[in-house]
Amino acid sequence: MSEQASKKTPTDFLNGILGQRVFVRLNSGIDYRGVLSCLDGYMNIALEQTEEYVDGELRNRYGDAFIRGNNVLYISAL
Amino acid sequence: MAAPQLLPLELIDKCIGSRIWVVMKSEKEFVGTLQGFDDYVNMVLKDVTEYETKGDTKHVTSLKQILLNGNNICMLVPGGQGPTVACS
Repeated sequence: MSEQASKKTPTDFLNGILGQRVFVRLNSGIDYRGVLSCLDGYMNIALEQTEEYVDGELRNRYGDAFIRGNNVLYISAL
Repeated sequence: MAAPQLLPLELIDKCIGSRIWVVMKSEKEFVGTLQGFDDYVNMVLKDVTEYETKGDTKHVTSLKQILLNGNNICMLVPGGQGPTVACS
């Protein structure tokens, strides 16, 4: 029963992290940190105050960024 | 007399709440507590360790909670402790 209550599907997770700072890693190894402004079922992501990291080093900053979902390896809540 | 069958995704459903080892198609592995998954086997993992092999170097990253894209998942090992335990 308690296990059932702690069940958290991908949709639940995504709804829970909207508006929070997140960390997104792409399949290519590039990382993005920013505030999650919206996303959809394809894992397409819109970020605000985005920082782009290549090999762990800050390379770029973007006010708004859109990431196409097929490139996403994972989304992590910070 | 048909043998009782357990579908692959039913097995994974039984793993919810326990540790699981996820091996990706590339040289990446994740170990974490499975919180849930969907039809594409996108998974929500808690207290995650990411293992990444780049040539000779191994990178280990700790993450509190992630949504892992199911697209690049190769294998799931219920109760798996990850590559460090498996190899030693």
